[in-house]
Amino acid sequence: MNNYNSEFSVVGKPIPKLDAAQKAMGRAEYIQDIKMPGMLYGKILYSRYAHARIIKIDTSKAKALAGVHAVLTGEDVPGKMKMGFIKDNPPIKKGTVSSFRDEVAAVAAISPEIAKKALDLIEIEYEELKGIFDPEKAMEKDSPLVHEHLKSNVLKMPWNIHYGDVEKAEKESAFVVEDRFTTTWVTHCCMGTSGAVALFDASENLTIYTNTQIPSLAHKDFLEALKSMGLENKRVRVIKPVIGGGFGSKLDTYAYEHIAILLAYKCRKPVKIVFDRVEEFKATSTRQPTVIYIKQGCDKNGKLTFRDMRMVLDNGGHTSWGATTPSVMLMPISSLYRVENVKYNAKCVYTNNTYSQAMRGYGNPQATFAIESSMDILAKKAGFDRIEFRKINKNQSGDETPQGLKITSCGLEECIDAVKEELKFDGKNEKSVGTGIASLIHVGGGARIYGSDGCGAILKMDDYGKVDIFTGGTDMGQGLDNITAQIVAEELGLLAEDINVVHSDTDICPWDVGAHASRSTFVAGNAALGAAKKVKKKIQAFASKLFDVPAQEIELKNKLVFVPGDEEKSMPIGKLLRKAHFRPGGTMLMAEHFYDPDNQNMGKELKGNMSMTYSFGAHGAKVKVDEETGKVEVLEYVAAHDVGRAINPMLLEGQVYGGVVMGLGYALTEEVTVKDGEIMNANFRDYKLFTAKDAVKIKAPVIETDDKDGPFGAKGIGEPGCVPTAPAIANAIYDAVGVRIKDLPITPEKVLAALKEKNG
Amino acid sequence: MITNISFLLNGDEISYDVKDHWTLLHLLREEMGLIGTKEGCGNGECGACTVIVDKLAVNSCLYLAVEADKKTIETIEGLASTEGSLHPLQQSFVDNGGIQCGFCSPGMIMSSKALLDENPDADREEIKHALAGNICRCTGYIQIFESVEAAKEMGGHDE
Amino acid sequence: MKEFKYLSPTSVEEAIDFHGQHSETARYIGGGTDVIVKLKDGWMEPDFLISLKKIQEMSELHKNNATGELSIGAMVTHATLEKSLMIQNEYPIIYDAVSNIGSLQVRNVGTIGGNLINAVPSADGAIPLIALDGMALLHGPDGERSAEVKDLFIAPYKTILKPGEILKKITIQPQAPHTGSAYIKFGRRAAMELPLIGIGVLLSLDDDLQTCTKARICLGVAGPIPIRAFDAEKLLAGKKINEEILIEAGKIAADESKVRDSVRGKAWHRKEMIRVQVKRMGLKCLEIIKDKN
Ligand SMILES: Cc1cc2nc3c(=O)[nH]c(=O)nc-3n(C[C@H](O)[C@H](O)[C@H](O)COP(=O)(O)OP(=O)(O)OC[C@H]3O[C@@H](n4cnc5c(N)ncnc54)[C@H](O)[C@@H]3O)c2cc1C
Ligand code: FES
Ligand code: FES
Repeated sequence: MNNYNSEFSVVGKPIPKLDAAQKAMGRAEYIQDIKMPGMLYGKILYSRYAHARIIKIDTSKAKALAGVHAVLTGEDVPGKMKMGFIKDNPPIKKGTVSSFRDEVAAVAAISPEIAKKALDLIEIEYEELKGIFDPEKAMEKDSPLVHEHLKSNVLKMPWNIHYGDVEKAEKESAFVVEDRFTTTWVTHCCMGTSGAVALFDASENLTIYTNTQIPSLAHKDFLEALKSMGLENKRVRVIKPVIGGGFGSKLDTYAYEHIAILLAYKCRKPVKIVFDRVEEFKATSTRQPTVIYIKQGCDKNGKLTFRDMRMVLDNGGHTSWGATTPSVMLMPISSLYRVENVKYNAKCVYTNNTYSQAMRGYGNPQATFAIESSMDILAKKAGFDRIEFRKINKNQSGDETPQGLKITSCGLEECIDAVKEELKFDGKNEKSVGTGIASLIHVGGGARIYGSDGCGAILKMDDYGKVDIFTGGTDMGQGLDNITAQIVAEELGLLAEDINVVHSDTDICPWDVGAHASRSTFVAGNAALGAAKKVKKKIQAFASKLFDVPAQEIELKNKLVFVPGDEEKSMPIGKLLRKAHFRPGGTMLMAEHFYDPDNQNMGKELKGNMSMTYSFGAHGAKVKVDEETGKVEVLEYVAAHDVGRAINPMLLEGQVYGGVVMGLGYALTEEVTVKDGEIMNANFRDYKLFTAKDAVKIKAPVIETDDKDGPFGAKGIGEPGCVPTAPAIANAIYDAVGVRIKDLPITPEKVLAALKEKNG
Repeated sequence: MITNISFLLNGDEISYDVKDHWTLLHLLREEMGLIGTKEGCGNGECGACTVIVDKLAVNSCLYLAVEADKKTIETIEGLASTEGSLHPLQQSFVDNGGIQCGFCSPGMIMSSKALLDENPDADREEIKHALAGNICRCTGYIQIFESVEAAKEMGGHDE
Repeated sequence: MKEFKYLSPTSVEEAIDFHGQHSETARYIGGGTDVIVKLKDGWMEPDFLISLKKIQEMSELHKNNATGELSIGAMVTHATLEKSLMIQNEYPIIYDAVSNIGSLQVRNVGTIGGNLINAVPSADGAIPLIALDGMALLHGPDGERSAEVKDLFIAPYKTILKPGEILKKITIQPQAPHTGSAYIKFGRRAAMELPLIGIGVLLSLDDDLQTCTKARICLGVAGPIPIRAFDAEKLLAGKKINEEILIEAGKIAADESKVRDSVRGKAWHRKEMIRVQVKRMGLKCLEIIKDKN
């Protein structure tokens, strides 16, 4: 369906994932597969209550069990060892526990079975405290406090933003709509569960195997952990095994990693902790549940006048990076469509529920659900066609949004057109069938959340034309290894298979801020490209002497270094490399490059161009609603994305399909059922991921806008696929049967209840 | 509580003393070191541990090792030829984007193999029905279906 | 998982014998798809696990051509039933139910007997066998006896089986000429789904192809055990079957049900689904009958 640019030899080609054969043969080693001589197995005991005081812990029986090497409680954790965004969360709690997932003890034993038995032998006396599970109620004055010393459940990290003048704009608006939406907990469900293996060498340096998405930041966290243990000036080496899915779940360091470190140090043996599926559901973080109030208006020509949003986020018992998702929510709120006056207020509120974290989209899916549902409601009220209404307000190249985002390449309109082309939107659907559309904006050129948004790459060539590139970037299945290889191969006139991408080891790979914010293709891609360019220059310089022509006349293609039009002046690259190497004063070709995009940290006023470029897209759904059961069937789905450039169309489509299906789960079937803080459906039968039988037909038109700053024009696409899915579905349901569902997931029960209410 | 069993594993005759309470998954992964078969849930709900027992796809996490006695077992390690070339199904999963993180892939490929061995002409609906017990979080399944269909063309089944 | 000794008798008698020797600490295992999950969770901690897999006669599926009696060995797997053309053509309600149990991997080892004896309210296999007036043949230390499948269940995880008793097979008498049957499992997903509600309907019509001579309406997850909606059945018996009366039957069945709110679904919605699906399955029965004539 898509026509991809063919001016390149390697870029733009559907080259199979470099590690796919290894994986297809079952040879890829995940954290589950790592075994070491003398290795012990760690297991963690979690709180029996959502909120309680620990009165007494007796570990004597567990310690006495044969095969148990260590038992840890909160007392054994150094006071300074803390996790989370404001470092308020020790890996094992003492004193009070504030959620069911709170770690209260851990053991290391010679087998997983013994470790589990030991957990059962730990006796803990609790005094149960009153819990609070509804963030809006937790804001009330007389609500029980999750952390008494904080005096309030509202996190002291207010998000309060006002661009333009919303009050005035509202007064001047011809049409205004106001609604409340809610989204609930959903979770990553990586097929490979979380885990780590930690070990110390004789000099007390730490090596930790962990399936993290942030090797460099994890490296820093673990250095701090060692420091808290009194291990100053030691080294930390983070090694990533093959990762069985990330989706944001591995964007922080977690208790199990710290506990593995503590146990390994105590036992002076390798200690492995790998979650089972129940633990993965209960002790890893979810996407933030939100309560969203949105008001927006337009003038009589359909131009958006203002957008006013207020959110309450369930912060859970501890503050993780999840508390910063409003920073990304702000992006669609301020900048999805042109709207000058924007207000946004978000409060993160402590509850005794599980705490949330990053998950594909980092807040964007929640915000976009409200915005795009509201866009349809407003279009209807103002009497505009839904597609027209969006086009009137579309973002365009050259815009600077109220938040200060500078829109460079922008294919939003083309995406909307592509959706319209596929699904028609002519109102000629059969009964109970409807179509819906929703758009998205997301960072596509990095996201400056930390001081640095950079990534390093080191490139070396051998004597035969093969390349090793050491990148800071992380591949967790999404295909960064290919993106890197294809970019480097294109630049150096090689094949992708000539490029070995090493991304697994902090001892040899340079720094990178992490595989988040759909930034890897753009940032790690540019880092690799930068290094390749430097090496190319060196090759050209050497060949220039060899061929006696100016360097800029020399080209690299098909593994040849040559001067176009001059058959004499051509040499296989391997031969040239050997000539450069094996001579007096010889050299080998290497280069390094650190790419840090020219984007801005949002300052105190939360303004700034956080990304070098933005990805756009529009999704369309055609659904059929069974009006007697409330069940929604997705008949067709179109996900059009402006990706700048498709470096690898096959992997790109895979990202989109996977994102869409994750988004469809978010829209229709997935929810972590929580009852008084306890997760009730910690298994795949009750947590309803789409199965192969639920899979829907998806078309993925790709719009190539050739971004001026992207590597070969590419922008990020890791997350966008799941951003506008829920509103596209909700809007299609409304179109089909006239009911507006404002709470995710859209279950048959909710649809049927709404239909009954509508039909009286 | 130890039983000696003998079975054919990927063409090799194996005799093994197994504990009666071991699952087949445990035997393969933890005892025999065949890490290709994955554990995604341990409860029959994800298909990552799928192996073929006497031509039928089964969840090895819910199958006792003692019951492998006298059976023919196929695991992902047995698919590629001894010269190293990939089985058509493996090759087509590689070529068609059927593999992202890869954690579901061995199970997915084994389920596909059991299907095509039995029904070499399986259509899209039959493929969906046969793979419904193999959860993949990465791909959205589409490229997996395409992989199986492409393998069909390549003759991805045992005669 | 706690250690145990695995025994594999080759006859029913031997199995019962083994059980007798270790009665308190022995458990039967069929395909194991329920048992192994329970062993892993520590819900079940036997010292002896007695497998029924090697008992040939229990894995037989056949129809007696002379009497028309269908006999399903308790160890017949869901996949065997699903793939049987005879089942597909003559007992669509069984096919509907077993072809959507869990996944193919589960159906390849899970057995119909295990499904019944595990006795959860959501057992898909129970509903069609109840609708077909199936008889269960039991064999225990005190010999053989039989019971209607509908009477097997006492409470969740509890059946009328006495210690050591084995479910050998289920028999089904031939159906009246103009009979249609259908089952639907209603859930959020298309597969790997425990039913929110499971509904099986069987209708036999007179030669006029209108008058109902027999009606069975069976509900899963509509109470602690699979149930028949007797009042709804009564309404249909002897009446001309059309959409209106099926709607009425659906309402009555919903009222008869003892649905509850649970984490998986709300009671009111379950009731609604019974209402709607009884009607739809009834209509499907009519269609099946029509197609055969
Ligand atoms: C992932 C998954 C999905 C599932 N999905 C479904 C579903 O959709 N619908 C559904 O109904 N079920 C489902 N099940 C449950 C299960 O697979 C079925 O109930 C299956 O039919 C059980 O049969 P089995 O042979 O495996 O039983 P087993 O586990 O071997 O035994 C179950 C119980 O019955 C006893 N038992 C077994 N056979 C006999 C016998 N002949 N006589 C006396 N006692 C006996 C055992 O002692 C045990 O108590 C699912 C299970 C899993 C793991
Ligand atoms: S590990 Fe066996 S099905 Fe999930
Ligand atoms: S490829 Fe990751 S789960 Fe399927």
